[in-house]
Amino acid sequence: MTIAPVRVEAAVPTEPEPVSRPSKGRRGLVMTLVLAVTAIFWISPLALLVITAVRPLADFIGNGPLSWPDEFTWSNFKDAWGIGNFATTYRNSAFLALMKVPLGVAISAMLGFALAKLRMKFRRTVMFTVFLGLTIPIYITIVPVFIMMRGAGATDSLFGLIGPYLAFGIPFEVLVLQSFFRQIPDEIIEAAKVDGAGDWRIFFTIVLPLSTPALVTVAILDAVATWNEFLFALILLNSDANKTIPVGLLNFQGQFANNNTGLAAGILIAVVPILIAYMLLQRWIVGGLTAGATKG
Amino acid sequence: MATVAIARSKPGATRRPAKKGAKRGGKWSPWLFALPALVVYVAFLVYPAVSSLWFSLTDWDGLSATYNFVGLDNYAKLPSDPVVATAVRNNLIWTIVTIIVPTVIGLALAIALNGKVHGKPILRMVFYTPAVLPLVSIASIWGWLYNPQYGAINSFLRLIGLDGLAQPWLGQDSTALWAVMVPAIWLRTGFPMLLYLAALQGIPNELYEAATVDGASRWQQFWHVTMPGLRPAHYIVLALSLIDSFKVFDMIYAMTYGGPGTATQVMGTWMYANVFQYYQAGYGTAIAVVITLVAIAVGIPYVRSQTREAS
Repeated sequence: MTIAPVRVEAAVPTEPEPVSRPSKGRRGLVMTLVLAVTAIFWISPLALLVITAVRPLADFIGNGPLSWPDEFTWSNFKDAWGIGNFATTYRNSAFLALMKVPLGVAISAMLGFALAKLRMKFRRTVMFTVFLGLTIPIYITIVPVFIMMRGAGATDSLFGLIGPYLAFGIPFEVLVLQSFFRQIPDEIIEAAKVDGAGDWRIFFTIVLPLSTPALVTVAILDAVATWNEFLFALILLNSDANKTIPVGLLNFQGQFANNNTGLAAGILIAVVPILIAYMLLQRWIVGGLTAGATKG
Repeated sequence: MATVAIARSKPGATRRPAKKGAKRGGKWSPWLFALPALVVYVAFLVYPAVSSLWFSLTDWDGLSATYNFVGLDNYAKLPSDPVVATAVRNNLIWTIVTIIVPTVIGLALAIALNGKVHGKPILRMVFYTPAVLPLVSIASIWGWLYNPQYGAINSFLRLIGLDGLAQPWLGQDSTALWAVMVPAIWLRTGFPMLLYLAALQGIPNELYEAATVDGASRWQQFWHVTMPGLRPAHYIVLALSLIDSFKVFDMIYAMTYGGPGTATQVMGTWMYANVFQYYQAGYGTAIAVVITLVAIAVGIPYVRSQTREAS
């Protein structure tokens, strides 16, 4: 999904105050039950995927997709891992995220700082132009980007993806970061200036440390978006050695069309890192996405 | 010690009156901060988007070294292209359905979760999970669920005795677009849920108490307390969903590739097919320009509101 731009105020979600209204006990229990059933239904595609991935193909065909497996096996994962070329696509996706995310957050933070705290000419114009990027679909740029990369000899190279990935990440990152920087009291910055600190020193020693929650949230959301990006990777990368997870998964899907259990294992291999990361970091994701909602 | 303090306070004292004008580092300093991101942004987003405008005025096939300027010919051809008509219709349906349905479900879930419910964090996590998955993997998962023979959906229908409803969901014109929208709804419900949940916590409880004292029913409370309190959240949800829905590409590409036939083509995928499959880069780009202009036009109020708020 394209990450949605919302302003971040704090990365830690505040748990709701329990609303005190009468007759809550029974209602709460019923509501919990209804929500639990809905949640099971909601997550059932993923649950089915897991069950299918750990059963032999014969068992799947014999008993049908909705049955409980008679036997369990890990061999689907072994097959899928090899045929899906996941060792390579994992490495490529990880490389891209590691290159792109720190760089993107760094340059966006710099621009955000200039927009939020420095007296810059044409500030409104720059801001409008950058935020307008949120509305631009990737596909309007693919033909010129392809020509540009071919001219630079950067097609079929992971490095060719970094520029476009950075550019499409900037509007969201700047939007979030500048709104966070804005909340840093001017007095702190003025005081530092009185002490003789220049803009760079203020940026590195005051603004960035005070904005750690926003930086972490932006970095996580940006990493998810980078990991999931599909269209640029599809048009710019040709050889198997350079494919990323989404493109590799699509190829894999074609090859495993008749091997349901292998396909399920492959899809799981592709999504497990992002699922684990989400579970570990969800505090930051949820908090970052919602903190702006109340003030809107 | 004293001299140090004096030495430190002195330049500060002289600089203070100057703070309105040039800051330390001069008036170019802001641009040093702004430049790296602006250069990348212009080079890889603004410039390609603008040069697409140029390509849309040519008959370039995407391969040859040369091409001719053809004016607005490509745009003139759009209305007579039956696939464009399908794509526009599909984009419209997509936009309406994938905004309304996830927003309504998300709001309902948020209200339910905002009550006295056990296991709130885990429920919230479950409902948001699809939103972090790659679109291509969501397409794979649902393509697999929709499999006519071995898919879980048809199996389930057969299990509960509705054999007649089992059908090739993605393989027939009548159901394909709707079948692709279901996973889109699945993935897009989490975000409005999170936003509404956060917004609901910002509505003061006294408002509900006062409404209860005044004898307002739960339904009246919903319309006269909850909904007005959620107005900022509504705005964000609608604006972002609208912007997001014009970008639809990955899901359709990976699930149906616009098929069967051209039944699920949207502007983005039809543009792609023209450029990379039919070697009509000029024409394909014109398709992209049209939908992008619409996307920008509907996105501008949101962009402006964000710019204004920040100033």
